[in-house]
Amino acid sequence: MPDAVSSSLPLWQILLLIVFLLLALAAASQALRCLFRGQSSEEDRDWSVPPLEASKGRSFFHSWDVRCKIIALVGFSFLVVSLDHLSLAFGALTVSMVALIAARIPFSRALMRLTAVAAFVALLLVIMPVTVPVHPGDRLVVLTEKQWLVFNLRGLDLALTIGAKAMAVALLMEPLLGTAPLPITLHGLSRLGVPKLFGQMVLLSHRYLYVFQEEAGRMATGMRVRGFQRSSGLSNLRVFGSFLGMLFIRSFERTERVFSAMQARGYHGAFPEPETKTLSCIDVLLAVLWLLAGTCLVLADRLMQ
Amino acid sequence: MHIADGVLPLSVTLGGYLAAGLVAALKVRKVRQEELPKLAVVTSAFFVAGLIHIPLGPTSVHLLLPGLAGVLLGSSAFLGIGLGLVLQSLLLQFGGLTVVGANTIMMGLPALACGWIFHRFKKTGRWRQMLLGGLMGGLGVVLAALGLALLLVSGGEDFWGVAQIALLAHLPVIIIEGLITAMTVGFLARVKPELLLTPHHFRSESPHA
Amino acid sequence: MNFASRPLFSLHGLDFRYPDQTEALQNIEATVHSGDCVALVGQNGSGKTTLAKHFNGLLHPTSGSILYKGQSLSGKYLQQARLEIGFLFQDPDDQLFGHTVLEDAAFGPRNQGLTRAEAESAARQTLEIVRLEHLAYKSPHNLSFGQKKRAALAGLLAMQPQVLILDEPTANLDSFQEAVFLKLLHDFSGTLICISHNLIFLYECCSRALALEHGRLRHDVSFSNLVTDRRRMRAYGLDFSFRFQPEAPRPERDLAATGNHSGALSSGPFPKPQSCLIELTDYSFHYADGSQAIRKVNLKMEEGERLALIGENGAGKSTLLSVLLGLKRGSGEYRFDNRAVTARNSRKLWRQVGIVFQDSADQLFSASVREEIAFGLRRLGLSRQLRDERMERVLDQVGLQGFEERVPVHLSGGERKRLALACVLAMQPRLLILDEPTAGLDPEGEEQILAILRDLRGSLILATHDLFFVRELTERTLVMHQGGILKDLSSRDFLQDKGLGSLNGLAYSYRLQAGEAIQALQQAHEHALPHLHLHDHQHWHGDVQHSHPHLHEHIHGFIHSHHQDQEEHGHPPRRVQEHVHRKHELEDHVHGHGPEEQK
Repeated sequence: MPDAVSSSLPLWQILLLIVFLLLALAAASQALRCLFRGQSSEEDRDWSVPPLEASKGRSFFHSWDVRCKIIALVGFSFLVVSLDHLSLAFGALTVSMVALIAARIPFSRALMRLTAVAAFVALLLVIMPVTVPVHPGDRLVVLTEKQWLVFNLRGLDLALTIGAKAMAVALLMEPLLGTAPLPITLHGLSRLGVPKLFGQMVLLSHRYLYVFQEEAGRMATGMRVRGFQRSSGLSNLRVFGSFLGMLFIRSFERTERVFSAMQARGYHGAFPEPETKTLSCIDVLLAVLWLLAGTCLVLADRLMQ
Repeated sequence: MHIADGVLPLSVTLGGYLAAGLVAALKVRKVRQEELPKLAVVTSAFFVAGLIHIPLGPTSVHLLLPGLAGVLLGSSAFLGIGLGLVLQSLLLQFGGLTVVGANTIMMGLPALACGWIFHRFKKTGRWRQMLLGGLMGGLGVVLAALGLALLLVSGGEDFWGVAQIALLAHLPVIIIEGLITAMTVGFLARVKPELLLTPHHFRSESPHA
Repeated sequence: MNFASRPLFSLHGLDFRYPDQTEALQNIEATVHSGDCVALVGQNGSGKTTLAKHFNGLLHPTSGSILYKGQSLSGKYLQQARLEIGFLFQDPDDQLFGHTVLEDAAFGPRNQGLTRAEAESAARQTLEIVRLEHLAYKSPHNLSFGQKKRAALAGLLAMQPQVLILDEPTANLDSFQEAVFLKLLHDFSGTLICISHNLIFLYECCSRALALEHGRLRHDVSFSNLVTDRRRMRAYGLDFSFRFQPEAPRPERDLAATGNHSGALSSGPFPKPQSCLIELTDYSFHYADGSQAIRKVNLKMEEGERLALIGENGAGKSTLLSVLLGLKRGSGEYRFDNRAVTARNSRKLWRQVGIVFQDSADQLFSASVREEIAFGLRRLGLSRQLRDERMERVLDQVGLQGFEERVPVHLSGGERKRLALACVLAMQPRLLILDEPTAGLDPEGEEQILAILRDLRGSLILATHDLFFVRELTERTLVMHQGGILKDLSSRDFLQDKGLGSLNGLAYSYRLQAGEAIQALQQAHEHALPHLHLHDHQHWHGDVQHSHPHLHEHIHGFIHSHHQDQEEHGHPPRRVQEHVHRKHELEDHVHGHGPEEQK
């Protein structure tokens, strides 16, 4: 067994660890509260898809050319996920936070994304320290005397790094998507070479998602007022099956109608495109700077080894 | 199950995008281009179905539905699933942006397999279709879970443990998805058998009452 | 009709068969001229929508032809033609596929080849016409139903179509929205083809009717002609004259039906306090975004009372209903049957309160009628025998005997509505809530539902825009406005309220007026009386061929319109009648040029 040292982490890492655990706890408690608040809130949670474009304000993210924005932020994201060190992952997280504040994104939106990631991260935080194979030089915390639960701090470090990276990228989604209408963002994507059809399909799905969500919500209410309670009995699974079946029957029927309506208004394979903006030097410069920052992080990461 | 950003090595995320793009490009050719909007609309229904969570003991599981997607969409299932995952990532942060490609491969290929098997062996009987649908529902999750484990393992031996636990965590999901898919397919076989008839709904006008 | 102009549409021997070989249309022969306003009428399933879809090439005839401006609708020409023909779908969500309202309205114009700026200004103009300019940048899913409907219309009007095809344009609209919609259509100058069961609406906007029956074109007549023929109207599912019959004797409140519950109600003037079924005190509900849906509502309802809930869309009716069902919980006190409703026991309210939704599709999710009805009964924990008994009884009650093994999805709209009602009735709720029970039904379906509801006993809340149902089914009316209860009065007083027409957007007056006009038309009936005709046809005077108007006296049956206030039949015999006298030329008659006719 390699050196079994009890907690010799630097103080700041321990602090961060506590902060993250708290965050994970908050997310877990949120989930529990939803669970215990009873049927009605559960139902509400089921059918709520948050709208994009929540940020109405003006910031440089709003006026930044959408192509540059996509390249900069997506490129940065890919650079971030290739980081290996916890400290630099936190550096990336800081950059994301700054971007978030600069883009004046409402706190609730950012929180929504964080809680979605938090469950996954919390899982890793619990699993990885105990499952990571022990290498020479790893710091281990032996919680019990008989060594059946060995807490490998390298695993914790790994999980925290992943968590920080995931959060950094998740937080960047808001400045990327929330600061321009979705069609503009998707059109920017198509001007960068992604097939146009992709953006159009995303838009259509996004539109009808809300329609089906409402439909499903009404159907769920229809089941509840006739006494349906959620539980996992076999007969209930049968009800879920018919529910899904109805949802798909209705959606396939609607699909045909939507397509007819599109044809009736002259659709033959192409959507009209939104307005385009000319590129300015500043837009490009900002993108380059942003990517440079990402590259610096990666370089520093590689040099630390 | 979705992989978040930062778990997979860069090479795997980029490879995932490449592979997903290739498969998607192949599949797009099979669908008439101007009919793709229909697929987009149906995808939103799958998105909504994915929001349903089924109670399971003290917690609940979200439906993944790769099997059902394969059964209903046939060879367009891959495109639908890719689109759905993009939306989930954009709207709900289920699965990170950088791993959409890998996630699509992980869910889309099982859907294609399930679709192919279902339409190869479905014949006509209602019970047969229901049983087969249930098997496909389970198989879809099995394959997706294996895919997930494989992807996780690509991150090195550090992720072996996570991969194992992820596989184990999918066991109850396999059963639930299998049962629900069976029920759904059984319902459709009885109420609207046309939907199970051909994997290409995007070809002909369906009759209206 | 102007026969000199080339017809806009001409249909010759048009047959249509669905891929599964079901015959939908057979041998349709018709022409539509530019500027015509044609109503497509017929029972549900008679092929109206299928026919309408031929007019813009969404469907192609299996045999026969349809010509638009003399050319067959296919290929490039079809693409072109579609840009001139607007088709309004029944569900506006099918049509609003754009990300924002403005983008959606600009979709058509862009396809017509306008530049982005032009298309956008065209879209903006039409949005102003339909009064939605303030919502231009909203996503369609943020709009109310009426707004969506108008947005969908804007998307068509922006293309400046020559033809508008409307599929059930007034379905699910409240009467205020309906009036707004009608006004928009009045301003449209092109050709109109309209599918609807809404007789009053059709009466206002159409001059001609094509009546379909089992996929065949049965009649092609002027609309007023159709309206006067009740027999025909009945055949086409348009007869709503049951609405004009004198008020049926109200069934005595029979509380024996609810006798298994405690607290039987005396119908005396002083209700005992324990008979109070529902009591809301200062009840308010806020949405998550902070806006108030209902505020400080106070409501008492006795057991056995029949209550109408009236109010414009967005007045808070549906929220109030959700509260009563225990689906939503706000602040204030809600007592059901003298017990306070708490978070815990609100989940059990479904045993006591039943609701029939506006759209039965939201309520029917089983693979057979039997399972559908058994669904709620199982939850109630009834034995199989009891379930079967109740099922038999309710199916009998709603006239769906023998439907046990049918698939709900395959039933017609009216049958589905009755099934939804049966599912709720089978659970024997103490309070029955009906949300717009007539939405989407044809008059025949309405009549059937009314007949069932009339025979029901027990407490009832009816949320509706339909004053006729208010009159027929309820004793007390609550008028809601902006989340509060504005008026609480007896239904009789409410219906006699002169301010009704302008009451917080409840535009009922136009319906009433049109109803009266139709009723007047229906009072018309056949008489065989001698009367004069002014004729113009070729005739001979010796060797000279003449054509000029001249008077004849005839005796033949003809339709005479009586005014509603006219008690007696006065038919001035010498009055010149302008109705058509068919085959006059074939009749043997002399043409003497009387002195008064000679010039």
